[in-house]
Amino acid sequence: MSYLEDDLKMALRRAEPSEDFTERVLARLHAPARKRNLWEEFTVLFFPPRLQWVALRVVASIAIPFAALQYHKEQKLRAEGAMAKQQLVFAMRVAGSKLHHVQRKVLEMTQTENRL
Amino acid sequence: MKTFCSLIVFFGIAGAGYGQALDLKRLDRLADKASDTADVTLDGSLLKMAVKFLSASDPDEAKVKKLVEGLKGIYVKTFEFEKEGEYADSDLAEIRNQLRTPEWSRIVGIHSRKDKEIAEIYIKVGGPGPGGLAIIAADPKELTVVNIVGKIDLDQLSDLGGELGVPKLDLEKTDKPKPPKNKEDE
Repeated sequence: MSYLEDDLKMALRRAEPSEDFTERVLARLHAPARKRNLWEEFTVLFFPPRLQWVALRVVASIAIPFAALQYHKEQKLRAEGAMAKQQLVFAMRVAGSKLHHVQRKVLEMTQTENRL
Repeated sequence: MKTFCSLIVFFGIAGAGYGQALDLKRLDRLADKASDTADVTLDGSLLKMAVKFLSASDPDEAKVKKLVEGLKGIYVKTFEFEKEGEYADSDLAEIRNQLRTPEWSRIVGIHSRKDKEIAEIYIKVGGPGPGGLAIIAADPKELTVVNIVGKIDLDQLSDLGGELGVPKLDLEKTDKPKPPKNKEDE
């Protein structure tokens, strides 16, 4: 028999638990759960279980680009709307001023005609 | 002359029906010669979007909103030149040709030889389409063409041009020379 087998047998030999083992296990089972303090509750948020991390990352990797895209679209729409509004006001002002100018001229000409 | 004046005063609303915008592309070549250019093309969804952005609480914007609701398109081209003679009569002739259809009527035509000033107003009252308005205003150093597709109240539009409340842009000229007494109507 080699030394290795001896070592294994020695390491894996049956060992009886101490006499109070069962009592200690039962006592621990029935003992009230220790309440975490606030700091411990807070730090748990930063060290979530691995699965939660993965889920969180998946959600974030979808939600953040989506939100950024929506924000970008909204900003673009607002800029286009503001530009269109400015153009509209300008166009109406040009049209209005030209019409007003012509009306004034026509009235002046009419008055001149009447005077003559 | 009096007839024209009466038409302007009493013709409140121009146009009814369906129609298309004038083709003003020929004027684009003047942009190279102009010192200042304004080119506004608002139609379809862009016009609707612009109307949505007009505030109902702002009195000036509310006026514009009321005026433009229902319009199909607004097209404005303005050119200001450093010197005279940068545009030709042929530039205007093409636009006039488009306005020589039975549905378009010229309600005002002022051609001043003294000031070399032209002002023409056309309205579209017949034929298919939502009606419309066309304005050609030109002096030796400035040319403006306006085309509005849809029903528009001329009195309200004129009031808008006479008010200072509407935001003013640099391209719009204000220091017009005093109108001479001796005008010649075409």
